[in-house]
Amino acid sequence: MSATPFSDVLAALTRQRGVLGSMVVSEADGIIVDSNLQIGVKGNVVAALAASLYRKARLSAGAAGLGTANFVQLEAERGRVCAIGRGDLLLVTVAESRANVGLIRVEMLRATQVLEQ
Amino acid sequence: MTVAVVENWVEDPLRRFVGDARVRLALLLHPSGQVLGQSGFTRAIDVMSACALAAAIFASAGELGNQLDGRPFHVLHHAGKERQIFIAPARTPRGLYIFLTVFDRESSLGLVQLYFAEFEQRLASAAPPIEPPQVVLAENFERDLNHNLAALFGRA
Repeated sequence: MSATPFSDVLAALTRQRGVLGSMVVSEADGIIVDSNLQIGVKGNVVAALAASLYRKARLSAGAAGLGTANFVQLEAERGRVCAIGRGDLLLVTVAESRANVGLIRVEMLRATQVLEQ
Repeated sequence: MTVAVVENWVEDPLRRFVGDARVRLALLLHPSGQVLGQSGFTRAIDVMSACALAAAIFASAGELGNQLDGRPFHVLHHAGKERQIFIAPARTPRGLYIFLTVFDRESSLGLVQLYFAEFEQRLASAAPPIEPPQVVLAENFERDLNHNLAALFGRA
């Protein structure tokens, strides 16, 4: 796959300890725009479901009068899925439990500047 | 959402797809345009129209792909302002069927693709053994269509 404007930020995210993969996803469609995933991560599945989850979370936050949902994190038994949106795009990260979620969050917030371009 | 089928083995895969993907309409039909199952439609005339159009679109798109690339186009997606339509072939041991679904912001193309793949697998698993081929006569098409529509809308 040829390099996209997101290739560098995705590679930097996936290099973080415990991160299994990262993707840029179309929020409306749930389709992967670009990804950097380890073998075994079902990117298409995660992308579709994470986009749906983020959209619902955004609507929930709005309905609750809390404004825009900035950062959505799903914690599971063996890891977490993190999502952050800018415009029509969503940055999704899949990480193991041992990953430093604070560092991942900082890196994802920094990476959203690329999404805004 | 109500799911109505002509053949019972179609019901569970179709119902699970509709529940998982949160679509507005779903239709499974034979390439000839005969309906096998539907969800979300309220009038028989709408099912007839959708089946006829879906069969024609699928056949035309397939031929267009053959002309352009030597291989038929399979999956079609059109995004409208409020709703989107997705048409794809569903392959089973009993043969090829056409699947059509309409969805809005409650779902997404990614979700529909994801759950359609699962639907196709379940449909293929649920399909009963192939029966001996019967001669399909044009004169029986309308009779079979009316019978199927009556079965779908509880008038059989």
